[in-house]
Amino acid sequence: MRLTHRISLQGDVALADFDAIVIGSGMSGGWSAKELTERGLKVLVLERGPEIVPERDYTDRILPWDSPNLDRIPQDEIAEHYPKQYGGVAYAIKETTKHFWVKDDEHPYEEAEGTRYDWLRGYHTGGRSIMWSRQTYRLGPQDFEANQKEGIGVDWPVRYEDIAPWYDYVERFAGIAGNADGLSQLPDGVFQPAFALTCAEEDFKSRVESAFPGRNVIAARVAHLTAATEEQRALGRSNCRARNRCEHGCVYKAYFSSLNATLPAAQRTGNLTMVHNAIVQSLDYDPATARVTGVRVIDAETKQRRVYTARVVFLNASTIASAMILLQSTSETFTNGLANRSDQVGRNLMDHISGAGARGLMHGFDDKTVYGRRPGGIYIPRYANITETEKPYLRGFGYQGGARPISSTNGQIPGIGRAFKEAHRAPGPWSVSIGAFGEQLPSPDNRVTLHPSRRDQWGNPVAVLNVTYGDNERIMLEEARKDAIAMLEAAGCTDIRSPNVNLTRPGNRIHEMGSARMGRDPSTSVLNGRCQAHDVDNLFVTDGSFMASSACQNPSLTYMAFSARAADYAADLMADGTL
Amino acid sequence: MISRRDAIKSLVITVGGSSLLSACGGRVVLDALTPNASPRFYSEREMAVLSRVSDLLLPRTETPGALDAQVPALLDQLMTEWASSETRDAHRTALTALDTRLQASSGGDFLEGPNAVAEQALAAVDGAAFAGEPVEGYRALKGLITQAYFATEAGAVDEQQWVAVPGRWDPCVDRS
Repeated sequence: MRLTHRISLQGDVALADFDAIVIGSGMSGGWSAKELTERGLKVLVLERGPEIVPERDYTDRILPWDSPNLDRIPQDEIAEHYPKQYGGVAYAIKETTKHFWVKDDEHPYEEAEGTRYDWLRGYHTGGRSIMWSRQTYRLGPQDFEANQKEGIGVDWPVRYEDIAPWYDYVERFAGIAGNADGLSQLPDGVFQPAFALTCAEEDFKSRVESAFPGRNVIAARVAHLTAATEEQRALGRSNCRARNRCEHGCVYKAYFSSLNATLPAAQRTGNLTMVHNAIVQSLDYDPATARVTGVRVIDAETKQRRVYTARVVFLNASTIASAMILLQSTSETFTNGLANRSDQVGRNLMDHISGAGARGLMHGFDDKTVYGRRPGGIYIPRYANITETEKPYLRGFGYQGGARPISSTNGQIPGIGRAFKEAHRAPGPWSVSIGAFGEQLPSPDNRVTLHPSRRDQWGNPVAVLNVTYGDNERIMLEEARKDAIAMLEAAGCTDIRSPNVNLTRPGNRIHEMGSARMGRDPSTSVLNGRCQAHDVDNLFVTDGSFMASSACQNPSLTYMAFSARAADYAADLMADGTL
Repeated sequence: MISRRDAIKSLVITVGGSSLLSACGGRVVLDALTPNASPRFYSEREMAVLSRVSDLLLPRTETPGALDAQVPALLDQLMTEWASSETRDAHRTALTALDTRLQASSGGDFLEGPNAVAEQALAAVDGAAFAGEPVEGYRALKGLITQAYFATEAGAVDEQQWVAVPGRWDPCVDRS
């Protein structure tokens, strides 16, 4: 299937009128497009990168030995084009997947003096929904209440009950494998069968849960089909084959991505127009109507400029890029950026924090192994400041992990000859490892701004990222490390290893969010609870920008649910003539 | 039966060519495998040492060995196409140091001498490297040879029983 439609251009202006323009085709943009087109609206999706055609560009069917050089990108090429991307996610950037990641030299950004930031991303159809890790969790009631209770940031203008039906809605369509675990802080959803725990994980679970009654070890919830529905099969999707080749794309379309699911759904309505290589430069604002009237783009290849017009604009460019587009859209009314009367656009940039965990050996399973390569593992939901209180930090963290037989092909075991060769057949004892993903508190000083002079090759300002962590993040991870060791000890592990906390660089978890927070007060927040700009009625921002706090759960599902809810609301307003 | 000396000569002459050496339990076997180009990175000497070491580390058993899997040719390609000049230099230095050490401990006959002597020499180096003794670049070299072997169809499928499409996840099965 190809998603590109050509639009004939008349000079600088494409006189294409749409009901809605969605800027960005990734995790959230795909949902905006699907929901709006399914409501009968004519939608233009602008994607700044080239088109990915699954049949042509997914590389999951290339067998490992058919990839040159062990699928490694030449080292000089990494140094020239991928120093940041590879430095952040070396495990996912291979010779056969590098087309899913940006070249740093073509898409530069700067880090404020004394700070580091990993901006890890891909520009193409589907954005990072192609390369995401597919861990899928709801936020819980506590996550929407914490800011208000603690007086941090601004209160979410939404509570869990408001978004719960939309979680149901997006889970049913996306397909989430998980168990109903009955935990209030990590609400259950619409699940397909989970990937079952290994025998060592079952043992770990029972020992940890009995030693720590407030903690739970559950199967990871992942956006993989295990019992594909008719709706999913109609889109050409089928069940996960346990290959663990997800970073290469998936010809079975078993994991959720906008390219595997929402964009094809939008396409089949006949209401979708998709334009690639369209880099948005700014949004036009008409003070007379107080509306966005046009989207200015430059073609990535020809550098031709165009303006597209629509009744409503959905900004889904990803949290840093969406903030930049707003900041670039200055006018007499909005001198510091569109919809930025609160001066919060670009601020409160958050990610999750990692760098604390533990690994150890588990005993008693040497006669057991596993079959297949599961795209997930175990998850230990947040317990800090929920079932356990009096912590020396606010909020909390969850752990991702797993237990499996040690299997090595890297030659780091002693011996030579037959014994060495066959040692790889009967891998040694089982190993369990868990690593924390913690919440970062919002701070207005953590922000993206536009570089005052430096421009990229399309004439757009380069981002300057300025994010540092505070004491809460540092203390939390030290505690997460201690807790991890204690749980492995309780599980009877030996050879426990837990390196000193090595806090991940901001951005490294690829969960950036918060740069146009929602809130109740237009003077302190950018969006209302429907992701609609306080200052501009026909502008919605439904990527991670809207997040008023980061919680500690992997955030994509929340972006999906808020996108679907906002699109439904916008379509209602358009139907009743308000917009 | 071709003699070891002849086999080695043949290896050195046609290294990377249509013949590769595989030694197994003292048997010397020359296999006609897929032709490769001549080595682009390694000298003939380096290729001979690398081939001997690869074969001793991962010999042909009931399943293909490192030479059957053309590991030396794969490493030659890696060094030519993947490695930076820094990596190349470190790799070459490690291989040369290993050659010197193995030659010394096998009476100057690591390449052409009896298998048992060569095995003993390599086992000694391996033992030292894993006992924490600094043996320049040996573990990295062993790692690269091993990774390359298990990334081939022979290493992955024949030896490790790797399945491209498992089709299902079974979290707990008996080891056979």
